Amino acid sequence: MRPSGRKGRVDVSTLPANASAHEHGDGAGGKGHDAGHDHAHPPFLAHHFESPAQQFDSAKLGMWLFLATEVLFFGGLFVAYAVLRNRFPEVFSYASHYLDTIMGGINTAVLILSSLTMALAVRYAQTGKKTAMLVCLWLTFGGAVGFMVIKYFEYEHKIHAHLVWGSTFYTPPHDAAGRAEAEALKQPLQPAPAIVITDPTVPALPMLAVTPPVDQPAIKPATQAPSGLASTAAIAKAEGLQTGESTVGDHPSLHLEDKTMPANTHLFFAIYYAMTGLHGVHVVIGGGMLLWLIWRGMRGDFGPQYFTPVDIGGLYWHVVDLVWIFLFPLFYLIH
Amino acid sequence: MTAINANNDSVLDHTASTDNYLTHTRGFLSWALTLDHKRIGVMYLIGVLTSFLGGGIFAILLRTELLTPGPTITANPTTYNIWFTLHGAIMVFLVIIPSIPAALGNFVLPIMLGAKDVAFPRLNLFSFWLWVIGACCAIVSLLVGQFDTGWTFYVPYSTTTELGGVVPVVVGVFILGFSSIFTGMNFVVTIHKLRPPGMTWFRMPLFLWALYATALMQVLATPVLAITVLLLIVERTVGIGIFDPSLGGDPVLFQHFFWFYSHPAVYIMIVPAMGIVSELFAVHSHRHIFGYRFIAYSSVAIALFSFLVWGHHMFLSGQSPLLNTLFSAISFSVAIPSAVKVFNWTATLYKGSISLTTPMFYALAFLILFTIGGLTGLHLATLNTDVHLHDTYFVVAHFHYVMMGSAIIGMIGGLHHWWPKMTGRMYSENLGRIACVIVFIGFNITFFTQFMLGSQGMPRRYYDYQPEYQIYHVISTMGSYVMAVGFMLTAYTLLQSLWSGERAPANPWGGRSLEWQCASPPPHDNFPVQPRVGDCYDFSCLRWSEEENGYIVDRSMDPELNANAPKRAEGAR
Amino acid sequence: MTVITLALGSALLAADPTPILGGDFWMPPPASTFAEGLDQMFMFINWLCYFFFALIAVLMVFFVIKYHAPKGHTFRMDGPHHHMPLELTWLVIPTLLVVPIFWLGFAGSRTLGVEGYVGLTTPPRNSYEIQAIAQKWSWSFKYPNGVISDDLYIPAGEPVRMQLRAVDVLHSFYVPNFRVKRDCVPGRYGYLWFQADEPTGHSRYHHLFCAEYCGNGHSQMNRRVFVLSRTDFDAWLKNEETWLEKIDDAELYWKAGPKLFARCTSCHTLDGVSGVGPSWKGIWDRVNGGAGSDGTFLDGKTYRDLIGPGKEFATPEDYIRDSILNPANHVVKPFSPSGMPTFKGQLDDRGIDALIGMMKHLDEFDPKTAKWLKATPEQK
Repeated sequence: MRPSGRKGRVDVSTLPANASAHEHGDGAGGKGHDAGHDHAHPPFLAHHFESPAQQFDSAKLGMWLFLATEVLFFGGLFVAYAVLRNRFPEVFSYASHYLDTIMGGINTAVLILSSLTMALAVRYAQTGKKTAMLVCLWLTFGGAVGFMVIKYFEYEHKIHAHLVWGSTFYTPPHDAAGRAEAEALKQPLQPAPAIVITDPTVPALPMLAVTPPVDQPAIKPATQAPSGLASTAAIAKAEGLQTGESTVGDHPSLHLEDKTMPANTHLFFAIYYAMTGLHGVHVVIGGGMLLWLIWRGMRGDFGPQYFTPVDIGGLYWHVVDLVWIFLFPLFYLIH
Repeated sequence: MTAINANNDSVLDHTASTDNYLTHTRGFLSWALTLDHKRIGVMYLIGVLTSFLGGGIFAILLRTELLTPGPTITANPTTYNIWFTLHGAIMVFLVIIPSIPAALGNFVLPIMLGAKDVAFPRLNLFSFWLWVIGACCAIVSLLVGQFDTGWTFYVPYSTTTELGGVVPVVVGVFILGFSSIFTGMNFVVTIHKLRPPGMTWFRMPLFLWALYATALMQVLATPVLAITVLLLIVERTVGIGIFDPSLGGDPVLFQHFFWFYSHPAVYIMIVPAMGIVSELFAVHSHRHIFGYRFIAYSSVAIALFSFLVWGHHMFLSGQSPLLNTLFSAISFSVAIPSAVKVFNWTATLYKGSISLTTPMFYALAFLILFTIGGLTGLHLATLNTDVHLHDTYFVVAHFHYVMMGSAIIGMIGGLHHWWPKMTGRMYSENLGRIACVIVFIGFNITFFTQFMLGSQGMPRRYYDYQPEYQIYHVISTMGSYVMAVGFMLTAYTLLQSLWSGERAPANPWGGRSLEWQCASPPPHDNFPVQPRVGDCYDFSCLRWSEEENGYIVDRSMDPELNANAPKRAEGAR
Repeated sequence: MTVITLALGSALLAADPTPILGGDFWMPPPASTFAEGLDQMFMFINWLCYFFFALIAVLMVFFVIKYHAPKGHTFRMDGPHHHMPLELTWLVIPTLLVVPIFWLGFAGSRTLGVEGYVGLTTPPRNSYEIQAIAQKWSWSFKYPNGVISDDLYIPAGEPVRMQLRAVDVLHSFYVPNFRVKRDCVPGRYGYLWFQADEPTGHSRYHHLFCAEYCGNGHSQMNRRVFVLSRTDFDAWLKNEETWLEKIDDAELYWKAGPKLFARCTSCHTLDGVSGVGPSWKGIWDRVNGGAGSDGTFLDGKTYRDLIGPGKEFATPEDYIRDSILNPANHVVKPFSPSGMPTFKGQLDDRGIDALIGMMKHLDEFDPKTAKWLKATPEQK
């Protein structure tokens, strides 16, 4: 959430009755003045701050605290990832192959470059080089847009193939045959039998459970959706039998035909969309923030005396980049 | 250069007009778009107290239903379930969590600190409007189907219940979470960066230490609530499968996520009240708080430790025995700082000069009720006794003692303490004290009975119950009616003061923290000149002034400055 | 609802069983081997609490009276600001006190006779296993020989291990008199154990409550726990194995119907009042083309559209059977498609026959208590 930008305009209602008591950090000298406004107060200095330095420090601390909340916000999802990966290592090992490492890699490069241009923008703001700062801000914004475009293509391809979360994962994609099948699949969900069974004979002493290595041959491939949604046609398809319908089309459902796909693979995509989606939302918010900085920059608000919004905006952008640096290897690289 | 009057610490300008923060500007927009922390605090106060009324109405409804087993005022168990859910959700998210930090804290913190405002006034206003939007989401959820999941929203029930109000209310909770986070951010930065010269960390009043510790918890814990609620919404609407066992998910994972926030949340509720109580005991005993450093450190220690004990809500959930053991052990260690604070407060009464004012009544009530609430936590932290007591009325009694009997009582005590400062009016002390006593008596009748109800085996969230429990329920409900009367009287006392209370002096109680050095109500910019920071618990130079009808600080009484100064300060005549 | 549940027992009993009440000020009657020890643990913590509460309260009142400074008095300045030895004392002593509380809670003590958490969660190896299946809003208890019972019967004097399952949402198995409780989580098994030495017989029982909120019927999922001596228990188990088969076909509906109907009472009534599900009153007319047979289902069809020669269900019995085994297939307005769980695995064909028979002869049952109205079989 960004505060709306109205700095630069004086809010007369917050003027103190006797401003001579305030220190002026820029040493402009405290002449007594009445309710009017004088040059001793820089226009960007809010009246509850004693000095620009105090204002800058406060803004910085505030932004770092906000970034701590972002870390904890994403942290919850990282914990969910860890829990799911721990319970279903075979799922992650298998499903990560469906992600396009090249596109992910390009996105990573785009974001890292955009962090560079952002840092340069801050530097140019500090040194008063307005044009260079604006160019860098535009380039950063371009990085944000580029990232989202590539992400759009990644998502589009997967969504068409129904490589998505939940029970939709198991419905064949909607080509003509798929749509007819979806009609026939109108069954209510039945609760599944218990899946995870704890060994009743293990004594309940506190001990650390050792995670057994993944036993590939023992993994049961999914020929049927756990919630009983698979129709005979889908099962036939998964078994590779003749169903009389075309299986090669615009929207192949490779995953449903792959006999080695482990059960609960949909969970990988659930956490993938949750994390990359939330990250994407933050990139979009960052893009909006960059536009605002560009607008203010064009207005001439920033210079060596005052570059706080660029600085703290940069901090936000770096954290958005950092989150992606973690997401990329966790989803795309490790198998 | 700051201008200081060398003789008199008061920075009151007696020739100033009666202009104050309430009258400074007029009109709806001057309040709706205000950046003045005092006005924002007042708006929060009105919102929080209105929500308290709403939550209280649901409480009376559900207690009335429990007068008899089976149907009493409703034949539909789902209606009863909606009542207890709403009571809990409103009280936790709309009332107790914001009450002290956002309503009282916003008003008092900058003045007590000696600053002109919080660090980010616009963010503060935004926090308030987020609270309003969150409250509106709760109202919307009532109109589109209500919700009956309990305030804890456990899955799979909350993801599968047909009542349509679940998603709107958790969206509201998400928004309220951000309101809380931004308030926390504001307070942390204000205390770090806006302290005036002389206000070192250990010169700060303990209420500010408490608000600081609370703000740390708000900033660090609430984002986890946000992600929990987001996952719940996605699970319910779209079915991603993270909590749904039929899709490979784990319902207990939700509990871990939920309590990781909600345990620090209960400390967000109680730590500010402890801060208020430290102020009340010191000021109304006119005595330096006992053990200042320890109380300050313990507030922060509680804030940090609170993140390590969430699993004690889940001892019977299927959590591993190892985790259960660790959580039980750490929960005991969290109890120790609070216990020591109780001893410190009691010791503050020793050799004090105690005024039995209404705020002091609330502080004493807090001491009793928090002791009971805190001690009964021992039964619940102990692994083998918790098996019998978990999810029974024993837990309900325990948390009402600490949340209602301590946090709310502390808040109302603080409200009475700073009411003259906020409104410029004195309320009737007699009415205030009587109301406090009625609430105290009603509270104990209502909730002490519930300890026995729970240990006798009555589960919680029950619409219907076995006949042998009825006598306890009847007593408890009668107590709740008494409490309601007490709260009505409290409201009347305070509202009456607005119309016919006498004008309040700057320092009616004889406090020494900075808020007592500005007029009541304060001017728009708090202090015309930078106040001088001294020891906020040093009551030696106070003198009752007849023309002020309040206390003033008279430096001529300082023995260091004046050898002939009387050895003792003078109380009010 | 509770009245019906309590009223239903085996049709062979003369009097209804009564709950075991009593106990002391704080606790219900202790009925398991570790209950008394746990009660002592509870009282130990209680006494500590009484002591510290009294200390604080007395000191508080004493100080308020002694140091009260009415208006006009001058302030004292001799109050201490801190006192390190005292502060350390009251830091160290509570810390020392909580350690044994934690330890007793965790490990227990054989000498003091208190079972700790470790013992409570470690069932003895020779425990008798019973499965508890929780659903909205009833319990089923499955015995090793396949018997399914609505109430919990356990052998006295032996450790019993409950294996806990939930079918839909969270529930919790709680027997206050035994001091045991554990959440039933869908998707995984949980367990707890206890041993009750004193038999209750068939006429007295301990309460079993669901202790985790699960919706509309959460407070009405109560069941009864009967502790039987080993011989009685074996006899009961044997009888239950074949009770349905042993009943004559002609008597099936009135001997077996009410006992099985116990499982349905959390959602269905006999007296016309709708609960979570429709009342059974008038059901036979509805499914036979009589009064109410134009009632509509969620998909717009009526009873008459579904039931009859050449239609989806050739006979009313087929329809009723399907609505018990696949309830979501056809749901009557305005009820919810996810309201009724399936009873596949819980009711076999004979059980379904008994219920269908009961529906055919509803006029022979008391609509409030579901008891068969004729006093003796001869009057049938």
